[in-house]
Amino acid sequence: MRGAMGLRVLGLMAVLAFVMSAFTQMPNLMASSTRPRPRLDPADAIVVLAGGIHQDGALTASSLRRAVHGISLHRKDQAKFLVLSGPPAAGGPAEAAVRSNLARELGVPAEALLTEEEVWTTRQEAARIWRLLQARGARRIILVTDSQHMPRAQAVFERAGFEVVPSEADDVSRAAADPEERLRLARRIVQEYIARLYYRLAGYL
Amino acid sequence: MHDYITVLPDTSRGERTRMEQLFVPTLVAFTSTVACLAGAKVWGLSCKRLLEAVGKMLEGVGLTAILFVFNVAVGAIAILGARSLLSDSVSLYLAADITLLPLSLLQALAIQWWHQLSKVPAS
Repeated sequence: MRGAMGLRVLGLMAVLAFVMSAFTQMPNLMASSTRPRPRLDPADAIVVLAGGIHQDGALTASSLRRAVHGISLHRKDQAKFLVLSGPPAAGGPAEAAVRSNLARELGVPAEALLTEEEVWTTRQEAARIWRLLQARGARRIILVTDSQHMPRAQAVFERAGFEVVPSEADDVSRAAADPEERLRLARRIVQEYIARLYYRLAGYL
Repeated sequence: MHDYITVLPDTSRGERTRMEQLFVPTLVAFTSTVACLAGAKVWGLSCKRLLEAVGKMLEGVGLTAILFVFNVAVGAIAILGARSLLSDSVSLYLAADITLLPLSLLQALAIQWWHQLSKVPAS
């Protein structure tokens, strides 16, 4: 009997969390509260973090948006190098290679492009990109990722030794207005809270 | 030099009208009312037992939440184990796959009905 009551209370909380996430401004407010203030500051390199790739070589929406954002910053002469990161999908091309092709097609010179493929976590990206850029004397970077991921990514890259200028490229808008988009935003927020907790417990932050 | 970056447009589709935002909740409220009326008038179900049914539904949702957290936790532990033994190429995001939610619901429904039917002697 007590177990059933406990389940009902938990169920009610879950339903309320769902309703608040889908039909109120709660996820929008939570997303805005974690948003770092964007700045336009020149740096030594623009670092575009991985966002995912499909097996057929199509970039995910997140990956494409970040890549175009990074390319656009480079075209505005915000840095000498453009670093594109991303591992291969199983049996498919590497995300970094596909993004690099896109950057060349959009006018970024080949000598400005650097890629990093052997990375599956934000921590690995920070460590490997540090090695890649240290050899070129680049320490100050414009970091491109989505606004939810940015606080963790910025902390990890600063810990690796970089001076970071954050620049966000979101595929899920903070102004999401319909229930489905708000749920995606809420999921992204929860996912990132858990990831941050994991990074703290593991001593990566 | 400090300035705002406006490289890409925001992905927002713009402010929705209040009516658009209320469409889904209103739709579900309407179909729930129709289902309640049909239950009472067509099948002669007791309105008093509707509250009990809602309680049972909440139990199912609660069980779904527990199973979802359990699935995610076991998945994350398995991935971390695989990472330490094999390679880092397995993403932790796999453990947060959205399909775990409906699958947890199916698990909860099966357990709830199993529990329910175990109280009734088999015919």
